[in-house]
Amino acid sequence: MAGRDFDKDVYPEPPRRTPADNKQTGLPNPALIASKLFYYSVDLPVTKFRECIDSIQSGKKSVYYHQRFRRVPDLTECEEGDYVCYYEAEMQWRRDYKVDQEIVRVLQERIRACQQREGASAPQNCSKEVQDYDDATKAYMSRYGDLGAYASGRKCLMKQKERMINAQKA
Amino acid sequence: MVGMSVVRSAAAFAARLNPLKYGNNVSRLLTRTIPKTEQVAVRWGHGKELFVVKPSSYYDNRFLRLLKYYLLLTGIPVAAIITYVNVFIGEAELAEIPEGYEPEYWEYYKHPITRFISRNIYDSPVKDYEKMMAAVQIEQEKAEHRLANLEVRRQMRQRGDGPWYQKQAVDKSFIDHSPKASPDN
Repeated sequence: MAGRDFDKDVYPEPPRRTPADNKQTGLPNPALIASKLFYYSVDLPVTKFRECIDSIQSGKKSVYYHQRFRRVPDLTECEEGDYVCYYEAEMQWRRDYKVDQEIVRVLQERIRACQQREGASAPQNCSKEVQDYDDATKAYMSRYGDLGAYASGRKCLMKQKERMINAQKA
Repeated sequence: MVGMSVVRSAAAFAARLNPLKYGNNVSRLLTRTIPKTEQVAVRWGHGKELFVVKPSSYYDNRFLRLLKYYLLLTGIPVAAIITYVNVFIGEAELAEIPEGYEPEYWEYYKHPITRFISRNIYDSPVKDYEKMMAAVQIEQEKAEHRLANLEVRRQMRQRGDGPWYQKQAVDKSFIDHSPKASPDN
């Protein structure tokens, strides 16, 4: 999705536990200088600009919603030759496909956020997120894996049939 | 008209041989040679002023000029409108759908220009969906009618009791039964 909103509160960072400075030299800290430089040259102007624009816009704010779709009968519940039912089932399958793609994306973001939070101890502390992502990706690949660019609900159903046949053979 | 050209040529002649101009004194007039233009050094310092022989850049510059003109003709208003919308109107914020409220179809988009286009230019997605379903249903009925047509033809041809596949035969009263009228013929 292009231009997704970035919300800092979704993945909050835990309170920092860096110890107090134990300076043993009289020389200035270049990391501190660099961070202050970045703050005054980039961070502060951008924040001030954003606040200025927000104050101009503070009056009338419109809202947008996430659309909720009703569930319609599936491809398996359609009678043969009922092309209107096929069309509705196909549209519903496409919406579900998009939703599944977004689910996988959200899990990827969680791993990224966890890695950023933990830093060096990520392999140890992020194992739950990695496990969730692995499960979701396996399920996604088994359901939508090699359907290709012209994927349709019908092809997905045939793939499911293959899976069930193979599961029954084994 | 001829008098005017005489006056013009006289004026030009006077300008050329003006005794007040540099290089036009009497001693030089009769013995002077025309200086070569490429080799005359003008006073300004660094190098000689040269007449560089190169092909015409008129067409290239005209192209770039027209390109800039036509791009900016609509580019500047569009950029101004988009800046105005982004600064003064601003994007919408995400909210939960309130109880019992059915949002209009344009209220599902974030950017004000997208909302405007969806509201005023495009049909609602529900209407598009219904249009597609109507087209699908029409095609389905056409297909069913064609199949039924073929089946009806087959049946009528086979059974012969329908209005199709009838061949007009001659009336019964025209048949001459005389060859077979008596048993000994």
